[in-house]
Amino acid sequence: MTYTTNSDVTQHIGNTPLLELTSYSTENIKFFAKLEWYNPFGSVKDRAAYWMIKHAEKNGFLTKNKSIIIEPSSGNTGIALAGIASSMGYKVEIVIPEKVSQETKRILQDLGAVLHETSDDLCPRVGAGTDQSIALAKAIVKPRPSVYYMPNQYENESNFLAHYESTGPEIWEQTSGKITHFFTGCGTGGTMTGTATFLKEKNRNVRAVAIQAQQNHLLQGLRNFEESDMPDLFKRRESVVDEWFTATNKGSFDSVKNLLEREGLFVGPSSGSVLSCMLNISKSIKQGVLVGIFADDGRKFRSLYKEQEVFTGDEYLSAMSNLPVLDYIKSMN
Amino acid sequence: MNDSDKEVAKMIDVRGLYCPEPVFRTKIELEKLTIGDKLKVVSDDPESEEDISRWVKRSGHELISLEKKEKDLEFLIKKAK
Repeated sequence: MTYTTNSDVTQHIGNTPLLELTSYSTENIKFFAKLEWYNPFGSVKDRAAYWMIKHAEKNGFLTKNKSIIIEPSSGNTGIALAGIASSMGYKVEIVIPEKVSQETKRILQDLGAVLHETSDDLCPRVGAGTDQSIALAKAIVKPRPSVYYMPNQYENESNFLAHYESTGPEIWEQTSGKITHFFTGCGTGGTMTGTATFLKEKNRNVRAVAIQAQQNHLLQGLRNFEESDMPDLFKRRESVVDEWFTATNKGSFDSVKNLLEREGLFVGPSSGSVLSCMLNISKSIKQGVLVGIFADDGRKFRSLYKEQEVFTGDEYLSAMSNLPVLDYIKSMN
Repeated sequence: MNDSDKEVAKMIDVRGLYCPEPVFRTKIELEKLTIGDKLKVVSDDPESEEDISRWVKRSGHELISLEKKEKDLEFLIKKAK
């Protein structure tokens, strides 16, 4: 089934809830989670996708009913672009590593995206995983510039601006300016650099803690910067980061399980990484207001969580029943 | 079509495309064929000489021939699995 979005959906991007994780908070250290799955297409990437398309339209890079937006993505950016672009009258093609979950691929296809699946053996000289997808997407665009437009979240300044203009101000307002530490997982670096730049302009003492994944990781949306190059977008403002944390698969999955048990929150793996980092940093401070970006919920990770023995099938279904129904899923039923 | 082309199950022209797209198109077309079928690929990206040849070997297929005709590279590949 293909779902067609309507243009109103873009009005609901951003302004996501900031939830205090009361079971982790103490008298002097408060834990808050920015629940990004309340965006219309279920993740923090709705912001970057919308800003990139708006920028492309404004600069005349797109022609309605002609342009095809193509992007390398391992999931959330692809879903966001497919949903948002179709609501604005553009076709979308996503170049995706074949190892990405079937749940994610199905959502993309339901949103009308054409998928090009890459495998690590396709062209090893360009790297593995997402690097293969980036190379193929660029190769597809190169001889057909009048048809294809590649936003390229790894280089696109609008990815930074999305968070500088929305995520940062929201957190500042939601904490009444009391935030002391900002945490987010890093892939493109857009969320980290955009949000932290804004927050530091408001209060230069806010500490920005960046989270990368361990090598050979299973944490979708995160990168390990020894395995993969740091994207140009991130390099431009890397100095905004005060501290780095490397999340492990195990620590992240333990936190995913813990969050469901203690807070009733069913999160994606990268949110587990963020919580494990927040807990780690909280041991070294006496007081603070800690805010973490919880990029997406657990609905796309059924097979991963089963395979890694994070949740049984029954636990997954029970957790799913507590999630908000996303706009596009509501319309597909 | 010359005599050798008659033995070819499918031919794809990927001239004007840049690697890794020629490898990607080769892979997609081979997946559609049955074992023993031959695929002819014509490319003009110099990098495809190494990229396609290596991918064919890694994937367990057989590169029957690679001919260079001016700027064009003509690969004849047999699907082996």
